Amino acid sequence: VSPSGGTGALAQWVLLELQGEVEPRQSGDLAGSLLGDLHYTCEGVPVLIVGHHILYGKVVQLEKPFAVLVKQGGASQPSPVGPHSHYYTVTALIKTKLLFKTRPKPIITHVPRKV
Amino acid sequence: AAMRSRAEVDATLQTAKLNPAELLPVVHCLSFGPQAGGGECCLLQLEPGLCAELEAGRSLIIRGEKDEHAVLCSKDKTYDMKIADTSNMLLFVPGCKTPEELKADQASCNIIHPQIAGFSKNYWELRRCRPKLKKLRKLLMEDPYEGPDSQKDQASTFSKYTTEDLLNLIQASEEEILHQLQVIDACKIEGYWRILDFDYEMKLLNHVTQLIDSESWPLSKVPLCACLEELGSLEPREMIEHILLSYGRKYVDDGEVFFEMHEDKICRAIAQMLLQNAVKFNLSEFQEVWQQSVPEGMTTRLDQLQGLALVDRSSRPETIFLLKVEDLPEDNQERFNSLFGIREKWTEVDITPYIQDLCAEKQTVGALLTKYARSSMLNGVKVYNSRRPIS
Repeated sequence: VSPSGGTGALAQWVLLELQGEVEPRQSGDLAGSLLGDLHYTCEGVPVLIVGHHILYGKVVQLEKPFAVLVKQGGASQPSPVGPHSHYYTVTALIKTKLLFKTRPKPIITHVPRKV
Repeated sequence: AAMRSRAEVDATLQTAKLNPAELLPVVHCLSFGPQAGGGECCLLQLEPGLCAELEAGRSLIIRGEKDEHAVLCSKDKTYDMKIADTSNMLLFVPGCKTPEELKADQASCNIIHPQIAGFSKNYWELRRCRPKLKKLRKLLMEDPYEGPDSQKDQASTFSKYTTEDLLNLIQASEEEILHQLQVIDACKIEGYWRILDFDYEMKLLNHVTQLIDSESWPLSKVPLCACLEELGSLEPREMIEHILLSYGRKYVDDGEVFFEMHEDKICRAIAQMLLQNAVKFNLSEFQEVWQQSVPEGMTTRLDQLQGLALVDRSSRPETIFLLKVEDLPEDNQERFNSLFGIREKWTEVDITPYIQDLCAEKQTVGALLTKYARSSMLNGVKVYNSRRPIS
């Protein structure tokens, strides 16, 4: 498990913790599809708009940070450390998470009243 | 899909009835990156200290062959790895800023498009564990070094192990491995780590103790140079120095190198030499022979044999037999099963040398006994036996 990027500082990512499953609107590949808009209130409360829902969350400093690991190479790649050690690269560290635990509030689209 | 525009974001805010004035000006429009669903990324929860190690540029290694549970090794510690499930979805997002970062940053843009790199419902959890070092001894015992005259070495088809080899095969950190090599008196011969064959080791030790005796050197001041001179014709110089290092403490006095011999360790080795020749010995006979066999000036004591031999005080006459802790299983439950198979009831004093090495970082022998044994009183003495029937 090596830090990637040589002498540069490790990238800092953020964790987003949501309840339930993440499913794309359309069936098919998740890649490229939108999740939603993330705002922060002036007080620093994260607000996530996903589809027809508004989620309110909070910023949490993690007591135990995470490392994001990416597995290196396949069976075909000659490994300098022998066949039994797995080489993972640490792509980033995560010290902060945005926790969305509240139930999503549905967005009710304004229906114009019949005059 | 095209990237969202600020106009689209503002329209959504309006529909959602959120007041832009109450929000920070920057929005993150999150989408899934091209590799997001691939599952090549995973999360590892870091124990204290590991984060700093990674930030300092040091690596962590995950080790484990197919039949072993994976462990994570830092430079000097070993951790068990376990998957922890959450009921929530964890998404990892590069380029996502916290409110503090946004407030501190005076950038002019008001829209960011981070791409979610991956997501998971679980992560790896770490728990500090004892390094799994029993295998180290096992590997080196495949081909113990019997000396330069041995025919075996030339024709040997057994694997020999370099430091690099051992790092790959042993589930422990580099420091833990190097420390253990020192503890078991391994030495490097032609680049490979070797353990000495016991008989050869005793032969070397015997050369040294006989020389000490004939030269009447004090046991605390054995000169290296003289040893090499006198014994250099009998054995390789590296081996002479190795045996002195194994059984003595090296120091320098007035520019010259001396060794303070370890009385306990020498007595212990000689006991092993005597005990390995039979299943068990009459205790008092053994003690007599043992004292006569050790170098002049050394005193034998039964407590020198902790973890090496066991005294049976219930038999008539009392006996003693070889029982080496390093020959016993490494796993806690298996170790206790093995010990209770050898003897049904143990006193704490007798069992401690055989379970001491199982103690985790802050664990005591007492805690181990509470967990794996049941206590009772026998003739006014507290004894421990198995919690379960031993087959």
